[in-house]
Amino acid sequence: MFKLPETAPALLGVGVLLASLSLSAAEPLGIGRMATADEIAGWDIDVRPDGQGLPPGQGSVMNGELLYESRCASCHGSFGEGIDRWPVLAGGYDTLTLERPTKTVGSYWPYASTLWDYIYRAMPFSAPRSLSVDETYAVSAYVLYLNDIVDDDFVLTQGNLARIEMPNREGFFVDNRPDSPNTRCMQECARPDQLEMVGTIGGITPVGHFRADVDAPAASHDAQKSLEDQKEEARLRALGVEVDETVPAAVALSDEAKAGQAVYEAACVACHATGLAGAPKVGDHKAWGPRIDQGVSVLIRHAIEGFTGKEGVMPAKGGRMDLTDQQVSRAVAFMTEKSQ
Amino acid sequence: MSRIIRNTTTREMLAQLAREAEGLSQRERREFLRKGVTALSAAAASGVAVAASVNTDNLPPNEPSWSRQLGHGVVDSPYGMPSTYEQHVVRRTVPWLTAESISSISMTPLADLKGIITPNGLVFERYHAGVPLINPDEHRLILHGLVERPLIFTMDDLMRFPSASEIKFIECPANGGMEWKGAQMEALQFTHGMLSCCEWTGVPLRVLLQEAGVKPEGKWILAEGADGAHMSRSIPLEKALDDTLVVYAQNGERLRPEQGYPLRLINPGWEGNTSIKWLRRLEVGDQPWYHREETSKYTDLLANGKARKFSFVQEANSVITHPCPEKPIRQSGFIEIEGLAWSGRGHIKQVDISFDGGVSWVPAQLKGLVLPKALTRFSLVTRWEGQTWLLQARAMDETGYVQPTLKQLREVRGTNSIYHKNSIHTWKVAANGEVTNVQIT
Ligand code: HEC
Ligand code: HEC
Repeated sequence: MFKLPETAPALLGVGVLLASLSLSAAEPLGIGRMATADEIAGWDIDVRPDGQGLPPGQGSVMNGELLYESRCASCHGSFGEGIDRWPVLAGGYDTLTLERPTKTVGSYWPYASTLWDYIYRAMPFSAPRSLSVDETYAVSAYVLYLNDIVDDDFVLTQGNLARIEMPNREGFFVDNRPDSPNTRCMQECARPDQLEMVGTIGGITPVGHFRADVDAPAASHDAQKSLEDQKEEARLRALGVEVDETVPAAVALSDEAKAGQAVYEAACVACHATGLAGAPKVGDHKAWGPRIDQGVSVLIRHAIEGFTGKEGVMPAKGGRMDLTDQQVSRAVAFMTEKSQ
Repeated sequence: MSRIIRNTTTREMLAQLAREAEGLSQRERREFLRKGVTALSAAAASGVAVAASVNTDNLPPNEPSWSRQLGHGVVDSPYGMPSTYEQHVVRRTVPWLTAESISSISMTPLADLKGIITPNGLVFERYHAGVPLINPDEHRLILHGLVERPLIFTMDDLMRFPSASEIKFIECPANGGMEWKGAQMEALQFTHGMLSCCEWTGVPLRVLLQEAGVKPEGKWILAEGADGAHMSRSIPLEKALDDTLVVYAQNGERLRPEQGYPLRLINPGWEGNTSIKWLRRLEVGDQPWYHREETSKYTDLLANGKARKFSFVQEANSVITHPCPEKPIRQSGFIEIEGLAWSGRGHIKQVDISFDGGVSWVPAQLKGLVLPKALTRFSLVTRWEGQTWLLQARAMDETGYVQPTLKQLREVRGTNSIYHKNSIHTWKVAANGEVTNVQIT
């Protein structure tokens, strides 16, 4: 571990070593080691507009459609329109000068390489780096197709990606600030009669922590969720609907479940904490009751092999094929025990 | 105009309550006082908060309860936490800004902080795929591309290099970005809280580049994170050779997981997104990569439909942190107006304050440390006797750049650029001491 620079004699005194360093500041210190070609290749995933970095491979719009429907549409919508607040991926042409522009892959992105690079490094959101090279070509082709940039019979390849011309490729210029200079005026800097004052719109900022009696959002996603649940309950009560009042007792988790918590948080939470894509929410015993009744082994099999039910698509291992079956089954234990 | 509760008045009323409570049992007495104090706060004219409920048993001339018993001993909490009375000083988010909490942002409670250093647990958060928990023994940094010697470093390797410590602010370029079209946020934490300042310790990137030997064609560096987003940004070599730091510690301790443990980049003065967290790879190239975070995001769309790219620098900015919506004025008389100013181009040279919405200005004092690309605290002492103020601060940095008005900024940029809104901010101080966020155009 504590390797000395190869050229340095092994028994140098500290003072001598420091002196020799300060004498030749431009010389390497000999810290770290050469990275092997293999080590670099495994991590070197970046792609740039001229196509440098693209691995050999290809994918068609047709293959991309299937993948997109099963791996992307639950968040981004079947047409790239974006579900809830998840990003919109398609459309928005000619909106960049409007009051509310829609910036999408088609309307805004200057290069197709960015799409390939981003999907390969970060999507699908809950299982990054789970797509193969050919799958990335296919699903990229499909997103380009959703944006009317390629036809439905198009096949995206290592060779043709850099040649795709994106509609907004000329839409950018390099930073030229400062662009809005002010001066250090001290007196009569504005005409008071010409100043206009606009106040804040109330009710959309979390202010409950310093102001009493306000109807405002909470200051975290979890707190906001329980606030909304409470309001919904109150609304239902007001309508005379019976509300389930049983407060779930804190359950002691089995060792199996405890071991599964980290897996759950890494691989399942994106869907199962929020109910995303129709996933049963952890803690929602109504949603889990009938599922648990099927028997835990069925649930584990569904989690490992994937499962399409009435609510949506549960991808095999949540899209994380790197997980072992045991890890997944522990996560299921955690989820079911939390939801009893 | 509502009445201002002065300290003496409050105390007199508390004393009267205490007298009335005499003869009650200890428990009844406490209950009575609690109610009395609550009633007192409710009676306080519209919104002027009185000190939170106070148990007069602990006030002089009484000996307070904590002075009549022993407290807990050493290493009761081996890693110390703030007093439980400070539980409100926490990061907060605006939930509707993002779909969920994993790719989201939280803000620093600037109103409650002193000096220029942000405590580690309060540094604002911005993740794109949540916080990875990285075992430092299994973390590696690869430096490759247009270099003579592609290198791989362990954390131990990196800590063998001579270290450097620098106090620098870090700010998300979207700080204030919710307010291009109009005032929306009713608290300082949300108008300016994507901003923090720490002492960062690590290795200057130039030292690592020297170790690898950059080839003459090398012009740009791609920095990449080890999180699920594999966050990546292109950084000009010039910056890397100037002051970029490869950081493993903040404010004296190893980085917090939220801040990139075990390793991150700090690009002083530049938009926070370029300071890649959980840093695992640096690649030298001859041109930028145009990744998602420098095309789809972190480009500034102007009114004419064209967008500014590689807008790295955070231009001079400032905000008054006292008073502010979270810290209304509670007493008339002496008041210290305080705030923070910062510039990505270097030192803050001057901060001026206006009480009349920018018609006239008076210079404030800079206090404490005045460091380049760091938060700089300013102050002005004056008196407040219930008058309405339109309070503004305006920073000027060492390059002579003066922070623009919102009107000036909108004239050149329109209202759709999301990022880099550094315009002069206005707090309206009402006659009752309440402070609200307003915009003046
Ligand atoms: C669980 C929800 C989810 C799924 C499933 C998902 N994404 Fe995403 N996607 C996101 C989120 C969240 C972001 C924004 C992340 C951020 O900004 O940090 C995003 C961003 C994107 C973007 C960039 C959008 C922009 O305007 O910058 C693209 C392109 C994208 N996703 C493509 C895909 C593709 C292709 C798939 C399927 C292989 C997929 N996504 C699956 C949630 C999802
Ligand atoms: C991309 C979103 C997503 C992710 C990630 C995800 N799930 Fe699911 N899961 C679903 C959906 C949707 C369903 C409901 C399917 C239905 O019943 O229609 C589901 C259902 C389930 C069920 C119930 C199956 C049944 O038979 O009723 C289990 C168990 C489960 N998931 C476990 C997991 C585990 C373990 C993980 C992490 C390793 C995980 N899920 C990750 C979306 C997801």
